[in-house]
Amino acid sequence: MYVALNILVFLKAIPEDVKEDPRTHGPTVEGVKLKMDDISRNAVEEAIRLKEKHGGRATGITFGSDAATLVMKEALAMGLDEGVLIKGYAGNNPSLTASVLAERVSRMQWDLLMFGFSSADSYTAQVPPMVSYMLKRPLIGNAVSLRVEGKTVKGVSSYEDYNVAYEAEMPAVISVAQEINTPRIPTLLQIMAASKKPLSVEQAQAQSARTLQVLGHTFPMSQRKRIIFEDTNKGVEEVAAVLRQVLGK
Amino acid sequence: MKGLIYSESAQRAKELMSFLKDQMELDLALPEAEAVQASSNGASRVYAIYGDVYEPFAVASAVVSVFDGHDYLFVPATNFGRQVAPIAAQLIKAEMESEIFYFRPEQDGAIVRRYFYGGKTLLEEKTGAKVFTVMTGLAQPAQQGSPSEVIRVEAKGGLSRVLQISGKQKASADITKADIIVSVGRGLGKKEGLELVRQLASVLGAEVAGSRPVCSDLHWLDEDRQVGLTGKRVRPRVYVALGISGQIQHIVGMRDSKVVIAVNKDKTAPIFQECDYGIVGDIYEVVPKLIEKLK
Ligand SMILES: Cc1cc2nc3c(=O)[nH]c(=O)nc-3n(C[C@H](O)[C@H](O)[C@H](O)COP(=O)(O)OP(=O)(O)OC[C@H]3O[C@@H](n4cnc5c(N)ncnc54)[C@H](O)[C@@H]3O)c2cc1C
Repeated sequence: MYVALNILVFLKAIPEDVKEDPRTHGPTVEGVKLKMDDISRNAVEEAIRLKEKHGGRATGITFGSDAATLVMKEALAMGLDEGVLIKGYAGNNPSLTASVLAERVSRMQWDLLMFGFSSADSYTAQVPPMVSYMLKRPLIGNAVSLRVEGKTVKGVSSYEDYNVAYEAEMPAVISVAQEINTPRIPTLLQIMAASKKPLSVEQAQAQSARTLQVLGHTFPMSQRKRIIFEDTNKGVEEVAAVLRQVLGK
Repeated sequence: MKGLIYSESAQRAKELMSFLKDQMELDLALPEAEAVQASSNGASRVYAIYGDVYEPFAVASAVVSVFDGHDYLFVPATNFGRQVAPIAAQLIKAEMESEIFYFRPEQDGAIVRRYFYGGKTLLEEKTGAKVFTVMTGLAQPAQQGSPSEVIRVEAKGGLSRVLQISGKQKASADITKADIIVSVGRGLGKKEGLELVRQLASVLGAEVAGSRPVCSDLHWLDEDRQVGLTGKRVRPRVYVALGISGQIQHIVGMRDSKVVIAVNKDKTAPIFQECDYGIVGDIYEVVPKLIEKLK
């Protein structure tokens, strides 16, 4: 019988911002600080809540580079027990990321494998279903609520036209929606304590066979007029005129 | 060239059909309950999926079982489609690209465009991928056309059990078709403020939409009125943004609007970079005056 949960949660470190490369005028994230992906934060929070409720362990795993260390430390401060940093990330390539993660966790014991539904930078949503396929374990995707009962996990997935409640035998793969919780902010004490939690670093030998070829990467140009009124009355006057014209009044 | 579209809804399947119809011959795969609504819109075949139609593995397997003879699989980027497509790609050992909004097949691959960094940048790529999720709302649904041959396909072998389907409140209108939109953000401050917003919408003959906090977190508006990356993509003649800060995830959804008007009390709000006309001011002061002027 399951007495406690063994949870693995995948988190992603993403660039805080995108800058303009002074030479090419194209986008670059070189030298930009990393932050925890917004939705990874929800996954970490949910893993901690489940652990607090059922007992057990919650381990964070990230596929990235040394620069992701601080992000992992933050997740440890939030309440994860330990962290695994897999180095060797060479840019956005969801199926490669999925195979690295699937291979890594196939060597571990776990009940729940948790993700954010779709990261805020690349927004492909491919990794959780692919990992679930590779491990042949059930997937509850874009979950807005979760409940563990004995050996099963129940979750409600939020879709556009309806919601679906699923039930799956553990081990199971979960991806969470932003609405599932409000992530905690670690206290100073927790941040200090996190530096004593175990964080292991390893290297992945991942080879990409993708045919993808980038033809262009640009900032979309906004062609807006940007006529801004700080005088409200004047603004209302002008905007009403524009609206009347568009409406043909 | 032949493409297969899988969608859980006839409406989105038909939108994607119009988006792709000049490029290739198309077949559709969709749940049996939706199939009738899309079986005479010019698709050669409609695969009506029955059985475990809400389980992503079962559906991906059913779709893949009829993929032979097709060059590409396209799936509207919904929260269910985003689960089915990667599993299908793995099943047929194909590469996959997500959230594309432009597709042009070439001799040795396809040219696609998608947003990156949460919508801040635009990528143009050439790819050998066969499976794509496609942003929703890119085209009007396909018109009535030639009838399709309907073939039933069973979805089975799911890894999870479906316990319950619960409906969501349906919006009274589809904001992607609106000619004029009045959209509200968290700056509205309170749900009661919608009364004023509806007055403006009524004067303008507009639909009311909102940002993610307003629709998905605060639930002041139905979720299907959300504009943005995780909501709808709209392209009205006029988009009026009230108390919306203009974060990139919102902008992606309204970028194609013809004229954008913004009201925000913070003159440094990013929405003022993305509008044609902006008024720096309080919604509760500006909107009543605007209604007065337009009456
Ligand atoms: C992966 C991901 C996906 C997302 N998808 C979406 C999406 O689909 N759609 C979406 O909208 N967001 C989305 N977001 C969220 C997005 O980043 C922003 O948080 C959100 O758009 C902000 O909504 P808002 O402008 O209503 O609220 P806020 O950012 O809080 O802005 C409120 C604005 O109102 C102004 N204001 C306050 N009071 C008044 C007043 N009385 N009069 C006038 N102005 C006032 C303020 O100055 C402020 O600019 C997504 C985020 C992530 C990470």
